[in-house]
Amino acid sequence: MTAAVGIPPAVTEETEAFWSAAEQGRLVVERCEACGTESFPPRGMCPSCRGRSMAAAEITDRGRIYSFTINYQRWLPDLEVPFALVLVEFPEHPGVRVFGRIRGCAPEEVAIGDEVEVGFEPGPGGFAIPSFVAVEGAA
Amino acid sequence: MGTERFEQRAVISGVGQSAIGRQVDRSGFQLTLDAIVAAIDDAGLSIDDIDGLAMFPGGGKANLPGYASGNLYEVQDALRITTTWRQGQVEGMSLPFYGPAQAVATGEARHVVIWRTVKEGSAARHAGGRPAYGSIHPEAEGPLAWLLPVGALSPACQIAPFATRYMHEYGVTREQLAWIPVTQRAHAALNPAAVYREPLSVEDYLASRMISSPICLYDCDVPADGATAIVVSTVEAAADLRAPVRIEAMAGVIDGRPSWEQWEDMGRVGYATAAAMWGRTDLRPGDVDVAQLYDGFTIEAVWWLEAMGFCGTGEAGAFVEGGERISLGGELPLNTWGGQLSGGRLHAGFGHTAEAVRQLRGEAGERQVRGAEVAAVTNVGGYEAGAALLTRW
Repeated sequence: MTAAVGIPPAVTEETEAFWSAAEQGRLVVERCEACGTESFPPRGMCPSCRGRSMAAAEITDRGRIYSFTINYQRWLPDLEVPFALVLVEFPEHPGVRVFGRIRGCAPEEVAIGDEVEVGFEPGPGGFAIPSFVAVEGAA
Repeated sequence: MGTERFEQRAVISGVGQSAIGRQVDRSGFQLTLDAIVAAIDDAGLSIDDIDGLAMFPGGGKANLPGYASGNLYEVQDALRITTTWRQGQVEGMSLPFYGPAQAVATGEARHVVIWRTVKEGSAARHAGGRPAYGSIHPEAEGPLAWLLPVGALSPACQIAPFATRYMHEYGVTREQLAWIPVTQRAHAALNPAAVYREPLSVEDYLASRMISSPICLYDCDVPADGATAIVVSTVEAAADLRAPVRIEAMAGVIDGRPSWEQWEDMGRVGYATAAAMWGRTDLRPGDVDVAQLYDGFTIEAVWWLEAMGFCGTGEAGAFVEGGERISLGGELPLNTWGGQLSGGRLHAGFGHTAEAVRQLRGEAGERQVRGAEVAAVTNVGGYEAGAALLTRW
């Protein structure tokens, strides 16, 4: 299974830190230097205090699947299907939700509430895309 | 309700459509002109009466092949009119007639024609299937940068997690929700302009292929070719109009994070818009005789059934099950033209608005809802949303 077929992201001043870290297998979001609020995607403004000093903050702990879909349709030639897409939230990081693929389980086994580890895999255009890893035996 | 509402200074005076089908072998521009001429004629006006133009989307902006068609200036040139107000836009399109109603209510224009032309049916044929969202651009920009690279290549995959979450939270089943496309197909059978008119059963629905779970083929609207035009006029011109329809109330509120994947509560969509709309009228959900609720996907109609208060949160499955309540003789006939699921993806609430106007005038032919005096119209949901009540003149 490859996730390389697809459409790559346009990288901007706001998103450069995310995609660079992704290449190293690290998930970074924005953290407000004034009030500590974390947010994603990066906007360069704190959604809580509207402060403009935002720093990259890495998330290393497990996330939980908020919702998901299993895509069966071949939207592009050579797109490998089926694959699951998951929306992952992090109990320790309110305000952060990340959309990505999932590995380590069959698509049909994905369920809301399941725990996942942060991960990435090669995506379109040489970018590393979020690809969470199912936690063995997670309920 | 003593305060004056600007939308009551505007009326919808005309609706018109081109030929509509899976493929219509004429240019989008000619379909546009067909719809505009028909809508102006339907209003009882002449082309020279029109002084405002608006289209969706503006600037030919598109993320899907066939999504955008034409250019506002070329239309004005074809009509050879003078305009005092123009609008073409992607954002802020809570309802097709929202901006035009503001324009005529403030006197910036007297008669505005707005149109939406799609050639997505032909585009899908040329692509050998429904194409990927954003595939006409080499890179995914803006909100799409978080969707397309991971493989959420269609609105189907982007909206499917809403349906997954909704069904999880409220225990609603596909067997229940099947009744929305099935009932709408029965309505489409009575609409000569609908794209798909053959009977559809719950068994057909359950046997259809999955697109992006839990969204199956019949949960997706039908890519189509066609144009819809709507004329919005100042209420002061009512005496000049053939059959105007009132805008009782309308609203468009985005109160959540405006992106598909960041919407906070995927089990509840459209509530702020519906609340704002109901706050502008003394009418209540029980007063609505016919509902044209946006249905790009089945789940979007579910959002609006609940947000508008036609049933409680999480109760849409039970509400639509069996189809009786949402059929022509039921308490809330739903998407009587077939909706986008069977009538065709005319998009952005244009098909829904055209049908609401026809129902309120008693001009809906075999699918006419008897005595329809109040119609609800909604558009999209989530990060763009609009809701309105239209009433008989």
